[in-house]
Amino acid sequence: MALVFAVIASAIGQISIPMGPGTLILSPIFYSLILGILSGPSVAKVFKTPEVKAASKLVIVAICPFIAKLGINAGASLDTVISAGPALFAHAFGDILTILIAVPVALALGLKRETIGAASSINRETNLAVTTDVYGAESPEAKGSLAIYVVGGMLGTIYFGLLASLVAAFGLFDPLSLGLAAGVGAGIMMAAATGVLGAIYPAQADQITALASASQTIAGIDGVYLAMFVALPLAQWLYRTLEPRFAALRHEPSAVLAEREAAASKKDATEKDGE
Amino acid sequence: MRSIEWAFLFAVSAVGIALANLVGFQVGIVESLPGILILVALSLAGMACTKLIPLKLPIVAYVSILGLLVAGPWSPVRDFVIASVGVINLTAPLALVGAFAGIGVADQLGFFARQGWKMVVVGIVFMTGSFVITAIISQLLLTLTGAI
Repeated sequence: MALVFAVIASAIGQISIPMGPGTLILSPIFYSLILGILSGPSVAKVFKTPEVKAASKLVIVAICPFIAKLGINAGASLDTVISAGPALFAHAFGDILTILIAVPVALALGLKRETIGAASSINRETNLAVTTDVYGAESPEAKGSLAIYVVGGMLGTIYFGLLASLVAAFGLFDPLSLGLAAGVGAGIMMAAATGVLGAIYPAQADQITALASASQTIAGIDGVYLAMFVALPLAQWLYRTLEPRFAALRHEPSAVLAEREAAASKKDATEKDGE
Repeated sequence: MRSIEWAFLFAVSAVGIALANLVGFQVGIVESLPGILILVALSLAGMACTKLIPLKLPIVAYVSILGLLVAGPWSPVRDFVIASVGVINLTAPLALVGAFAGIGVADQLGFFARQGWKMVVVGIVFMTGSFVITAIISQLLLTLTGAI
């Protein structure tokens, strides 16, 4: 069934709806996502819950070839990475520092373990794949990641175009720094941002585009490792540390404390069994 | 799951990639075959690594490193690998992920309906933070290295 959806989705191809400063992009992954949801137990009931559970395991099978392709791209452009200056790694700091802001925001809104997936990265394909693999397709973490993936995919292009022109309007940054910053998101977001920046700084348009795509390439390459070894562990630690406090502020029971108590009582029980 | 089952599932996903590539991007099956075989072989090798190497790394870590190894400047098959995989459109495997993920989250539609607006807020915060902070750090690094 999933095969059929993927084929239908690819057949429709990419639809671009021009909207104000950017473009609303609907790409094949969205159609197949929507088709999948529609056929599930809550809507058309083509699939029942056990089949849904089986499908979550299949995600991993579909992700691996994609990650393999990313790895091959990385190997292919390794020279670019090595020749590039240290500034190209700026995005890594941008992502990691943003986690420090985004996790509290997500917790203040009352999100629970979804926070770890949602607030750990800009959640493009790479991050979605890594989160799904590390936590499992059905986990709240992966749900959070998928939600941001969808939000970014639908609004990201428009928003990145706007953001680039806004930030440029302050005149605080060199156009080249903005070019590097434009590469943090998906390719399509980068295209929107560099388009806007090129219009603002026509003399440096070529340099901006070159830096943005270099930055984007590097982000795609180190993204897997950054997500696995830094971003997700950091988001998880922040979540564990801050969740009880935000839960108290919202007058809600804390999910982390409840989990800890459950773990503790389980431990007590096993210790008693041992006696 | 047993290895045979995994192999079967990867075969299914290979067929899916080939079909999506044919229908969506008019790349013939024969033309995309070498690339797909490479991608699936790497995936299976990654799967084998998670079983054989006693490190607790997710499968995507192995698959990505293996991909990097076969396509790096040191690899004898580099040009062949890059050329064959180059014709495989990335959205083809992704459309599969989308279909599987859609089926997977289908029973949690209520969650997305209720929590959707929060996700929009978090998404906007992350995009803004990531862009602005990267711009700040880039500005610093470019100034320090004397590029601007």
